[in-house]
Amino acid sequence: MPLDTSTYNLALLRVDGRRWNELRRVHAQIRTQAAADGSSYLEMGHTKVMCVVTGPSEPGPRRGTGGGGAGGGGAAAGAGAKAEVVVSIVIAGFSSVDRKRHGRGDKRTLELQSTVANALAASLHTHLFPHSQVNISLHVLSQDGSLLAALINAATLACVDAGIPMTDYVAACTAGSTSTYAANDEGADPLLDLNHQEEQELPGLTVATLGESDRVVVLVCESRVQVSRLEGMLAVGVDGCKQVREILDRVVREKGRRMVQEGTVEKGIGLNEMDVD
Amino acid sequence: MASLKRSLDSDPFSANISSKVYVRSTKSGKVQKIVREVYLRQDIPCSSRLCQTCIKTAPRDAAGRPTTFVLSEAPAGTSVFPQGHYLVPDTNAFLTAMDLFEQSAAFYDVIVLQVVLEEVRNRSLPLYNRLIGLTKSEDKRFYVFFNEFRLETHVARQEGESVNDRNDRAVRKAVAWYGQHLARTKAKTVPAVVMLSNDRDNLRKAKQEGISACSLAEYVKQLRDGDRLLDMIPESGDQGIVKEKRPGEPLYPEYFTMSKMMTGVKNGLLHQGIFNVSPYNYLEGSIRVPAFPKPLLILGRENINRAIDGDLVVVEVLPKDQWKEPSTQVIEEDTITKNENPDAEETADLVSEKERKALQEEVKRTHNKTTEGHAQPTAKVVGVVKRNWRQYVGHIDQSSVSQSTQQGRKQDTVFVIPMDKKIPKIRLRTRQVAELVGKRILVAIDAWDRGSRHPIGHFVRCLGELETKAAETEALLLEYDVQYRPFPKTVLDCLPKEGHDWRVPENMDDPGWRDREDLRGLLICSIDPIGCQDIDDALHSRPLPNGNIEVGVHIADVSHFVKPNNAMDTEASIRGTTVYMVDKRIDMLPMLLGTDLCSLKPYVERYAFSVLWEMTTDADIVNVRFTKSVIKSREAFSYEQAQLRVDDQSQQDELTKSIRTLLALSRKLKQKRLDAGALSLSSPEVKVQMESETSDPIDVKTKELLDTMSLVEEFMLLANVSVARKIYEAFPQTAILRRHGAPPKTNFDELANQLRVKRGLNLSVESSRALADSLDACVDPKEPFFNTLARIMATRCMMAAEYFCSGTQAYPEFRHYGLASEIYTHFTSPIRRYADLVAHRQLAAAIGYEAVHPSVRSRGKLEAVCKNINVRHRNAQLAGRASIAYYVGQALRGKAAEEDGFVLKIFSNGFVVLVPRFGIEALIRLRDLGDPEPAAEYDAETYTLKTSGSRELTVELFQKVRVKVTDQKDEATGKRGVKMELLSVY
Repeated sequence: MPLDTSTYNLALLRVDGRRWNELRRVHAQIRTQAAADGSSYLEMGHTKVMCVVTGPSEPGPRRGTGGGGAGGGGAAAGAGAKAEVVVSIVIAGFSSVDRKRHGRGDKRTLELQSTVANALAASLHTHLFPHSQVNISLHVLSQDGSLLAALINAATLACVDAGIPMTDYVAACTAGSTSTYAANDEGADPLLDLNHQEEQELPGLTVATLGESDRVVVLVCESRVQVSRLEGMLAVGVDGCKQVREILDRVVREKGRRMVQEGTVEKGIGLNEMDVD
Repeated sequence: MASLKRSLDSDPFSANISSKVYVRSTKSGKVQKIVREVYLRQDIPCSSRLCQTCIKTAPRDAAGRPTTFVLSEAPAGTSVFPQGHYLVPDTNAFLTAMDLFEQSAAFYDVIVLQVVLEEVRNRSLPLYNRLIGLTKSEDKRFYVFFNEFRLETHVARQEGESVNDRNDRAVRKAVAWYGQHLARTKAKTVPAVVMLSNDRDNLRKAKQEGISACSLAEYVKQLRDGDRLLDMIPESGDQGIVKEKRPGEPLYPEYFTMSKMMTGVKNGLLHQGIFNVSPYNYLEGSIRVPAFPKPLLILGRENINRAIDGDLVVVEVLPKDQWKEPSTQVIEEDTITKNENPDAEETADLVSEKERKALQEEVKRTHNKTTEGHAQPTAKVVGVVKRNWRQYVGHIDQSSVSQSTQQGRKQDTVFVIPMDKKIPKIRLRTRQVAELVGKRILVAIDAWDRGSRHPIGHFVRCLGELETKAAETEALLLEYDVQYRPFPKTVLDCLPKEGHDWRVPENMDDPGWRDREDLRGLLICSIDPIGCQDIDDALHSRPLPNGNIEVGVHIADVSHFVKPNNAMDTEASIRGTTVYMVDKRIDMLPMLLGTDLCSLKPYVERYAFSVLWEMTTDADIVNVRFTKSVIKSREAFSYEQAQLRVDDQSQQDELTKSIRTLLALSRKLKQKRLDAGALSLSSPEVKVQMESETSDPIDVKTKELLDTMSLVEEFMLLANVSVARKIYEAFPQTAILRRHGAPPKTNFDELANQLRVKRGLNLSVESSRALADSLDACVDPKEPFFNTLARIMATRCMMAAEYFCSGTQAYPEFRHYGLASEIYTHFTSPIRRYADLVAHRQLAAAIGYEAVHPSVRSRGKLEAVCKNINVRHRNAQLAGRASIAYYVGQALRGKAAEEDGFVLKIFSNGFVVLVPRFGIEALIRLRDLGDPEPAAEYDAETYTLKTSGSRELTVELFQKVRVKVTDQKDEATGKRGVKMELLSVY
C-alpha cells in the first residue's frame, strides 16, 4: 500500500508525485463519433469520460421524470421559449475498483446530471432554439476523482463540437486542502485537481468558471472545511479552471486546424483569427 | 474515422508519467486491482546542504516558502568513512532497530526512502509513527527522499521479480543516484552514501554494483562508542526460528464443550475458578482451586487462552515437569506489544518474538536451579464458563493510529489501552478516531475469536478529555461500577413530605414516639472527622449511683425513614454503600436523609437507636440494652477539637468530663482486645489537601492518629459486637453478620521467608495472637518505619472480611480474625452502609419494637444482599483509593519531590518502592536506572538485586532508598503516572 495524504508535508509532494498547484495530465479529443452531432473524449488523469451531444432537436416523447432536465423555460420545458438541456450519465460498472451496478435512479447520478445541465444551460444560448431539446449523454469509463469536473469539461467540448452557440467554455476542476477538517491546520496548502485518494481523505470542492472570466457557474463543496481555508481553495480552483480552459481551447483549435487542412471545412470568415497556417 | 486510441506516445509528458499497479485483497476475500498514476519529476531535491543545483528548484509551498535542506554539509564520519557519510537504511533496518535510530549518540543525516517508509508503514504502524516523529525532529536530520517520484530513481517492477527484490533494487538505485549526484557538487570532501541492510543478498548485489553498504552490526562497530550500541541490535539469526503459522489457522486452541468441562470438573480432572492476572506481568495469571493449597499458575498467552481477569474459567493442570515458579520479572504489555499493528491480524503469529523471549528467560532461570520445593503447579485454560466482562474505561493508543484516519472519517482499527492494567488491549473499529484520540472513553468487549490476538470491542461513550477532573472521576466511578446517577423520582417520593422542616414531633403521643425512650436530657456529643456531614453516631457516659458507669452509643435511626422494600430501600440495597472520593461523595441515601434528617446534628432533636451499657470502671460489661430513642446532641466535635478539649485541664464541664471517662474506658477496652489477639494492621493512608475555591489538590498529608479516633472506634466495635450477639440470639438462621476468615498459612510463606532472610525475624502465624505478637517484634531499631512496613505487607496477605448470613456458616466460622472477636456485625453507620440498615431492622425486631419484616427473615434474599454489598464495599474502597492516587498524582504535577521510600518487592528486572509520605508505590525498572540499561543479577534466595554496568547498585528488600517522585506522562501511550527515580540507597 502506498503512503497516504498525510505525508505531503514531508517533501511537499502529493500521493502521486504532483506539487500542490499542478493539474493531472489532461488529454482530450473532439469529434470522436462521426455520426453524432457533437462528441468528445476527455481524460483527467485516470478519470475517463466520453460525451455525445444530440440536438438541438425536436423533443422526443417525455420520459418519466427526466432527472437532468434544466431548460431556461419553466414548467413545460420542451414547449418553452428556450431549448431544454437534458443530461444523462451512465457510469460504467467497470469504472471503479469495485465492480458496481449504478442504477438509473441513483441519487448521486441524478445530482450530477442536474449539476451538469444547469452549468451548461448557463452558457448555451438556449433561447435561440425554442421548443427544442439538447441531449447530452455522458459515459464514465474510469473514475479517479474529480468526476464532476471531467463531466462538465467533456460536455463543454461536445457542445462546441455540436456547434451550439454558447457564451464561452465552461471549464471545471477541483481544489482541496492538504489537511483535514479535524486537523484544523491553518497553514494547510491548497491543492489543485484531487485524485480519488485525496478526495477520500481530504476536504475538497468542485468549481467551474465561464471562460477566462472569474465568473463561477458551479461550486460544489460536500466536505467539512474551515471557512478560513475556503478562500485559498477557491482561488486555486478558479486558477485551475483557467488552465483547463486553455487546454480545452487548444484541443478545439487543433481540431479546427486539422479539419481545415484536411478540407473537411472551408476556411471561413469566422476562422480568420485562428492561426491556421 | 477518428479513433479513441490512447495517444500517450504523442504526449510530450509521457516519459514522466508512470503508473503503479498493485493488487490488494480485502477482508472479505475480494481481490482488487488498483492502478495509481505516478508523476515522475526531476525537481525533488537531494536536500544536502552541499548541493548547489537542487536548491534552485527547491519546491515552495502555497505561501511561497521554500523547503529547508536537512542533510548536513559536514556529516559525521566513521572509521571506514572518514570523509563523512549519509545513511540510507532499508526497511528491515528500521523494523529491527528503531531504538538505535532514536539514539542521540549516533545516526544523524539519514535518508529515508519513500519505498522504505511505505514498507515500514505496512509492517508496523507504531514504528512508522516513530519514524515520522524522527523526520520531524530538527536535530536528527532525517530526510524523506521520494525516490519513486524522481525520474532517475523510479524503478519499474520487472517480469518475475518479487516485490521485495524490486524494493531492494529501488533502494540500491537511489543510493547509487545519491552518490553520483553528490559527486557532481564541487565540494572538497564528498560524503559517502552508505546503505544499511541486514539482507545478505542485498549487500552482495550492492557490492557488485559498487555501492558502499554494510550491515547494521558492521556499521555500529565503526562508530566510536559502537560497543555500547551493539547490544541494541537484535540477533539477525532469530528470524529463521519463527514458527510458521499458516494464514487462516486460528491462533488460540479451541475451548472444550460445556458438557466436557462439566464432566471434567466433576471427575476432578479439570478445575474451575476465577481467573486473576498478575498486576506486574500480563502474561501470568493465577487461579485458586480447592484441590490445591497454592494457586495454579497460568503462564503465557497460549495457556491463558483468551481468558480475561475476572472470568470464571475451567483449567487443566499441566504435567509436573512443566511446573514453574512465579515470575520474578516485570512484563508490561505496553512495552512488549507497542509495535503491533491493529490491522495486520492475518500475518501475526500468536506468540510474538518478544513475548517468547521474555518467557524464555523465565524458563532458563527456573531450569538452572533445582528449586523443586518452590515450583508451583501450572495450568492452561480449556474453557470459559462465564465471562465477567463489563464496560472498560480506557484511551486510544496514540501510536496505533494512522495519520490518515486522524483525518478522514474512514473506519479504522485502533487499540484501546484499558485503565485497568490487568485487562489486555482491546481492538476497536471506529470511524471517529480523530475525535476520540486523547479522550477517556468507555468500551465494551464484544468477542475474542480464536483467530485474533486481541479481543474486539466497540465504543460506548466518551467521558471527556484525558486528565480533566470530571472525566477522570467519572472514569473511576465507572471502572469500579459505582452507581452515581442522581436518585430517580420514585426514590425521592419516599422522603418525608416536610423536607428539611421535619422535626421530632413535640407531642409525645405521636406514633413516632411509640416505644421510644426520651434521652434528650443526656449529655450526648458526636466526634467525627472535620467537615463530616453525615453524622452516624454519638456517644455519652454518666456515672451511676452504684459506682458503675453508663455508656451509650446512639446511632442514627435510618430504619425509621427507610422502610423495607420501597423504592428508596431498593436503591440503597443496590448502591450498598456511600463512596468517598477525594472531591466527591456518592451517597447511598438521598442528601435530605443522610446529611439532615438522619444525621445526628448538634442542638436538634433526632431519632436514634441506642445501645446502653452498664460498665464497671475496669470496662467490664455488667449489662447491655437496646432501645429506640430521641436524643439531642450537645456538640459535634471534630477529632482535633475533642482532643484539645480533653487535653485542656482547665475544661472541667460535665461534657468534657464524660469524654474523659469514655477515653479512659476505651483504652481499657482496646487493651482487652489486643490481649485477645486483635491485630493492629496498617495500610498507607494519606489525605489530599485541596485548595478551597478551585478544589485543586495542593498537598498530600499522611493521616495523623489521635486518641479520640480510637475512642470512637472502640465503642463502635463494642456496639457492633453487642448487636451481633443480640441479633444472632434472636435470628440464629438469618442474622446479618460480618466475618474475617483466618488467612491460609501459605499466604504468609513468602513474607515470613523474607523477614527471616533479611532481618532474622520470625513470623508465626498459628493464631491471630501469635501473629500480632510477632508483628510487634518486627522492629528495626534504626528504622522506626520498618514495623509499619511489616504490618502493611502482612495486611496484604490477609483475606478480605465479608458480610454473610448466619445460617450459611457454622458458628466457629463467624470469627473475625483481625478483631479477634467471635462474632461481629456492622451496626454503627446506617447512613452510609446498607448492611447496618439491615442490622437495625433485625435488632428492632429482636427487641420487639416492630414486627419482623419478611425481607429480613428470608435467607435467600439476605444472601443476595450480602453478595452485592460485599462487592460494592470492595469497589468503594478501591474507588476511594484510586481517587486518592489520582489526586496525589495531580498534586505532584509539575513538581519533583525527593522522598524516602522502602523497597517492597524485587523482580529480576526492577523493584517496587513505597513512599509512605504519599502512600504511593511505583516500579523502578532497570532501564530507568541508567542508559544503557545496566546488567543485573538477581538472587532470589536473598532478595538482592545487584546491578553492574552503567550504574552499580545493590538493592535489597526492605531497604530504605531516596527517590525523586515526579508526575510524568508517557508520550507513547498517553498515560500519566507517578514516576520514581532512584537517587541513592541508604
